[in-house]
Amino acid sequence: MRNPRTGWLLLSPTLIILLLFGFAPFLYVLFVGFNQWNVFSADDGLVFNGLDNFRRLVFDDDFLHSVGLTARFAIFAIGSEVVLGFVLAQMLTRNFPGKSLFRIIHTLPLMVAPIAVGAIWRLLVIPGFGPVPFFLDRWFDLKYQIGSYPDQALWTSVIMDVWHWTPFVTLTMLAGLSAIPKEPVEQARVDGANRFQVFWYVTLPFLRPVLLTTVFIRIMDAIRTVDEVWMLAGGGPGTRFTGIYIWRVVFPRTDYGYGSSISLITLYLTIVLCWLLFIAISGRRKGEVE
Amino acid sequence: MQEQETSKGKKEINGFLPFYTNAFDRVFIGVVILIGIHLLWLRFMEPALPIEAATVISLVIGYIVVRRG
Repeated sequence: MRNPRTGWLLLSPTLIILLLFGFAPFLYVLFVGFNQWNVFSADDGLVFNGLDNFRRLVFDDDFLHSVGLTARFAIFAIGSEVVLGFVLAQMLTRNFPGKSLFRIIHTLPLMVAPIAVGAIWRLLVIPGFGPVPFFLDRWFDLKYQIGSYPDQALWTSVIMDVWHWTPFVTLTMLAGLSAIPKEPVEQARVDGANRFQVFWYVTLPFLRPVLLTTVFIRIMDAIRTVDEVWMLAGGGPGTRFTGIYIWRVVFPRTDYGYGSSISLITLYLTIVLCWLLFIAISGRRKGEVE
Repeated sequence: MQEQETSKGKKEINGFLPFYTNAFDRVFIGVVILIGIHLLWLRFMEPALPIEAATVISLVIGYIVVRRG
């Protein structure tokens, strides 16, 4: 029954679509990344310029600043989402009154489009209109203006991302927790392990594949975040993440070559980060049992 | 250099890298190092030495990683 040709035949539609819509555009961006292509320049065609785009990129303070901001955003948002998601998933494994209702309400943000999430949060935090600046000013005498204070804009973006994506992490963690067999946990308890030891030596190793997949997906999403942050702060200070910087270079400035080179380096950083995380979490380090 | 076969039939070696690697891993690490060295060279070393030196260095490191990593 196991015929490799049948396997390849069944896989071929997916492979063709992947090649056409995934790999071919990547090759095109790779090609454009080594060219100068600005429709408003004197020569509006593609002009090969070797490594000039990358030479410009490594000295571009705006780009380097955007990478730092994106890293801060990703670390704080994903860290909070994983911790919160795990706590909520643990809570949802137990029975309590109103559990079904809580699960529905908790999952609602996942169904909202990112651009609508940005719009909702903009309405919440817009100075002179939104309830958040109003109550912060009234109760704590705190001036809250995301257009004026970069740190406030960054933290608001982090909180918005946590609000939007924690349900996703909760659902994946819940699936992972439900798949853990009861016997090892019960054995550990019989052997006298406390709650932390059960979590560290039994639950966490079983959750490792789920955790890895979830963090991968969230890292890739966080690094390419554009729409909701753009809607929230319009690319203002504190929210000029890499995705927004690429958008600014490619669309208003129409500097396609330079924009492609930034996209390639962002992809490179994402892949390296995910790979390092894979090595750290997957148990392939020497001395660890797979 | 120890060689072992995983449950999926892939050959992994125990080289100088801090984890077990198969051939794809080592080529991937070589490419990552190549790009990284070139970017760092453009930023810090290019006024002193041309970019071709970075290519030579990263190819040598890549070869060592692929053979012994």
